[in-house]
Amino acid sequence: MEAPAVLAEELSKVFLVAAKEPGLMGTLRHFVRRRYRRIKAVNNVSFEITPGEIVGFLGPNGAGKTTTLKMLTGLIYPTSGELEVLGHVPYRRPAAFLKQITLVMGNKQQLIWDLPVLDSLRINAAVYEIEPAEARRRTREFAELLEIEDILTQPVRKLSLGQRMKAELLASLFHLPRLLFLDEPTLGLDVNAQIAVRRFLRDYRERYGATLLLTSHYMADIEALAGRVLVIHRGSLLYDGDLEGLVERFAPYREVRLQLERPLAAAELAGYGEVEEAGGLRARLLVERRRLTAVVAELLARFAVRDLSVTEPPLEEVIARVFSEGRV
Amino acid sequence: MRWLLRKAWTLVAVYFAYMLEYRGEIFFWMLSGITPFFFMSAWTVAAGRGLTVYGADDYARYFFAVFVARQLGIVWVHWNMSEDVRSGKLSFRLLQPLDPAWRYLADHVGERGVRLPLLALVGLVFAWLYPQALVWPGPGRLALGLLAAALAFGVNFSASYVVGLLSLWLEDATEIYNLWYVAVLFFSGMLAPLSLYPEPVQRALVWTPFPHLVYLPAALWSGLEADAARGLLSLLAWNLFFFALGRLLWRLGRRHYSAMGA
Repeated sequence: MEAPAVLAEELSKVFLVAAKEPGLMGTLRHFVRRRYRRIKAVNNVSFEITPGEIVGFLGPNGAGKTTTLKMLTGLIYPTSGELEVLGHVPYRRPAAFLKQITLVMGNKQQLIWDLPVLDSLRINAAVYEIEPAEARRRTREFAELLEIEDILTQPVRKLSLGQRMKAELLASLFHLPRLLFLDEPTLGLDVNAQIAVRRFLRDYRERYGATLLLTSHYMADIEALAGRVLVIHRGSLLYDGDLEGLVERFAPYREVRLQLERPLAAAELAGYGEVEEAGGLRARLLVERRRLTAVVAELLARFAVRDLSVTEPPLEEVIARVFSEGRV
Repeated sequence: MRWLLRKAWTLVAVYFAYMLEYRGEIFFWMLSGITPFFFMSAWTVAAGRGLTVYGADDYARYFFAVFVARQLGIVWVHWNMSEDVRSGKLSFRLLQPLDPAWRYLADHVGERGVRLPLLALVGLVFAWLYPQALVWPGPGRLALGLLAAALAFGVNFSASYVVGLLSLWLEDATEIYNLWYVAVLFFSGMLAPLSLYPEPVQRALVWTPFPHLVYLPAALWSGLEADAARGLLSLLAWNLFFFALGRLLWRLGRRHYSAMGA
């Protein structure tokens, strides 16, 4: 059996954070007697990722996603638990490990701000010991896939956010890592750029058989790329499985949309499910899955319905419910 | 070895290009380091009145050499490190199979490539104003002075890096480096040739790195008395000391890094 790309067992991270009250007295008190709070950012998280998988990592802000990624990439030490990534202990940072991973952070940049992208790539080629001819080949290949051939000689500070993010991807994948950690890779990008980034990541994974762990607040990223999701909330892992399973478990309802002959008040529909929209010629309600057939039959029999459709609730809504209730 | 040289060359070349973007700032930064010329004018006036051991030309020559030695020894890695820790940029450096210290070193060496031609310009102005102060020190003293300046840069760099590493505990350690700078100002020969300091002070200072950081190369270039062998050995020892301390703090401090901001 193939060894897992990532193996985390009972992984925890506690931060000591100085607590300071506002105002002058708070400042003086803080100076004389500093108080710290222990914040458990990640709490006994266990999971495995097999080579070649694309896993979405979901959670609201402050849930512990980025802290977990930092531990997996060796940036920070875990407080407790076992961690093995590509057969290495990440925080020891052996070169053999670092050459096989990358971390892309949507809101941060590794490129040198005042120089053209090519200069940062030159450094990466030397640091990762890539021969010049091979470095040129990779530059051409990735620049073409990302459609940024024309901007490589421009200073990074002159690039648009979308161009910069694509250039960041190029630099981050230049050494052909086997394991990609992506933290909000499409943050702030317009729809076209988001699609381009997703397409590039999919192509890269197909060409090089890479493993991806991806966090994103854009469900479209997760839906387009990830076959499996990990849901983390307040530091604890709530769910580990496929996306359909999550919807199945957490959203035991369907959305019923009605097109009506005459307007209907919300009160008239209240008995059939949770009314999301009513009062006009259109109505929308959430119906428990086990009652769906009966409710649909009754709606059609009782009201003058011009059209009726049943859909899965939007993934964003499902995830929002998971986060707000803090359980699956 | 081939990759080591390629890495070193690439880093220095790219950071040289980076620093060229800031040539204007570097020029003004260099001009802000003209303090030795103020002391030069004070000491040459005193020499003109027969109040000091050395003549006016000796002081002009010495303080110009001090200016050069100081320019070659300027470092800011404590600031780089603190900034990278605070902003989380250190994370990107940690993700690569290269110790972040090498990038900082390349940053400094690249900057020297921009600073040296500007320094040559200042030298030409000095030669035009004080032609009588120019004396060829001879190839031996010139080379020893350059070696001393290189080792002094090493001590400054590694001491500054050690201070920068404290950011892993304190988040911002840049102000601590000012203590080092004060010691350099008073005990390195920037205010006056150390040979004019009281004998007990000179004896005590020999055990510190400070007199060798500026006075040693400046004295070698300007023809003042200097114990080159002892000074160079001392600089070597201080380099080793700060290097070892830096490695230790890096190992310990990494555990404290929270990668905040990234």
